[in-house]
Order: sequence, then C-alpha cells, then structure tokens
Amino acid sequence: MTPTERSDPGIGNRAATLTQPMFHRVLNAHPLTVRDTLQDVRHRFRGEVSDDTLGRLELVLAEVMNNVAEHAPLGQAAPGPGPLPVIHLCIVRHNSGLACALTDDGVSLPDDCLLPRSLPDMVADDLPEGGFGWFLIQDLTQALCYYREESRNYLAFSIPFAQLEAS
Amino acid sequence: MQFIVEDAESHLNIKVTESRIDAAIATLFKDKLREIVVKNRKSVHLDMGSVDFMDSSGLGAMIAVRKSLPENLALVLLALTPNVERVFRLTRMDSVFDIQPLTAQKEPRE
Repeated sequence: MTPTERSDPGIGNRAATLTQPMFHRVLNAHPLTVRDTLQDVRHRFRGEVSDDTLGRLELVLAEVMNNVAEHAPLGQAAPGPGPLPVIHLCIVRHNSGLACALTDDGVSLPDDCLLPRSLPDMVADDLPEGGFGWFLIQDLTQALCYYREESRNYLAFSIPFAQLEAS
Repeated sequence: MQFIVEDAESHLNIKVTESRIDAAIATLFKDKLREIVVKNRKSVHLDMGSVDFMDSSGLGAMIAVRKSLPENLALVLLALTPNVERVFRLTRMDSVFDIQPLTAQKEPRE
C-alpha cells in the first residue's frame, strides 16, 4: 500500500495561502493496517490541531474503519475470509474542524447505524460489552452523512475543533 | 501482550504495558487479563498510565474483565490518559468502574 499524503499540492503564493494540511490513504480493512494508518494520521496532524481534537479524530476513525474490517464479507468460493474490503480515507483541515470522507467496498451499512443512537441499556449484573461504536461516532461528529452507490459505501463527517481552537 | 502483576496482599496491582487497546488486540487483552484476575480472586488495581488509545472494542474488553470479577471485588482504574478517560466518560462507563488518579493510590489506605 503506497501512502499518498499530499501536503504541498501547489506552487506559487496563491496556492500556498489556500493550502490546508490533508491526509489521503488507500488501505486494506484489517485491524493492524487500521492501527498503522491511525498512527500516521496522528503524526500528520500533530501540531496542526489540538491533542483533544486529534484524540476525537482518532477514536472516530478507529470505530468506522474497524467496523468495516469486522464486517468484512466472507469468501464466496472458499470457506474462510474473502479478500479484505479496501478503504479510501481522506481528511482535510478546515477552519472549523477536520472534514473526513471514507469509502469502502465492504457490506452495506445497516440503516440503524445512522439513526439517532442512545447508549446500550446498563443492567448492573449484565453490562453490555458492545454497541458503543456508533454511539461514539454519532456523539463526536457533525454533519454525518452516508450513502451507498453500487458496491461502495460513502461516509462523510466533520470533527469540530474545540471552541478555543477554531481559527 | 504483557501485564506486570504484583500481589499486594489485599489486592492485585496490574500494570498494562500495551500502549493501545484496540480492535487488533482487544480479544487477546480480554482473555489474558481475565485469566489473571479470575485465578487470583482479589480486588484489582489496574494501572492504565501507559495506554494512550482505547476504542469501543477495548472498552468491551474492560467491561468483560469487570464482569469476570464478583461484584464485591473492586476493579480500580488508575492513571487514565485523556483519550482513554474520554471513552469511559462518553459511554457513561465511568459510573461502573472505580476511576482514580495514580497519585492518590500511592497513599496508604486505612
């Protein structure tokens, strides 16, 4: 997988003043590849945004990409896992936050992931061990939108800056 | 995966040495830690100071470990870093675990 980060797309003053840091990568939906990618995202935006924003970004991206990995379709011909879905990830810094777009060729997203979520029921002697992922995604993002076109999922959202951080 | 385990008579001190509890290792983390706490049957003080990232699968692993201990035995989480504390807080799981700063724990407890 070749990293395709581009931080200096333009030459000349006009382009330079409009440049915002961005990150773009195509990766296999595998938990270890997701982990490596998250560390590269962190490295890319460190110093550009606050640690708090970086932490929220990393958590949301982990939840989204690990969902794709976890729900990878099984192989049709042979038993066992099929080829991994491929995720395209793009992040651009805007004035008010980080705009993120992800596409993947994994299974379609169930409708209820995007419906307003509450936390799973807390029963003291039988606490839920899952069901937190989409709650966290919805809680930490703004303008979350999803559509599916042919065999690909498209998900876009923004991670807002903390109030003091917006520039 | 390594845990540094120290038996302090009244409870078990366990230090997590992994820097990330994420989907790549959550199941292994849960199985290993559960094995340690179930075998010892004591309250557990878990030092999380080295963990700088945890996602919902990591949270699920922590909840599974909590559930493997009887209710009368505490699972105290020490020295949560901001990214880890955020996950407990947003999911309201900070009400289920006993979360304390590391320094307070160093004091002798009466």
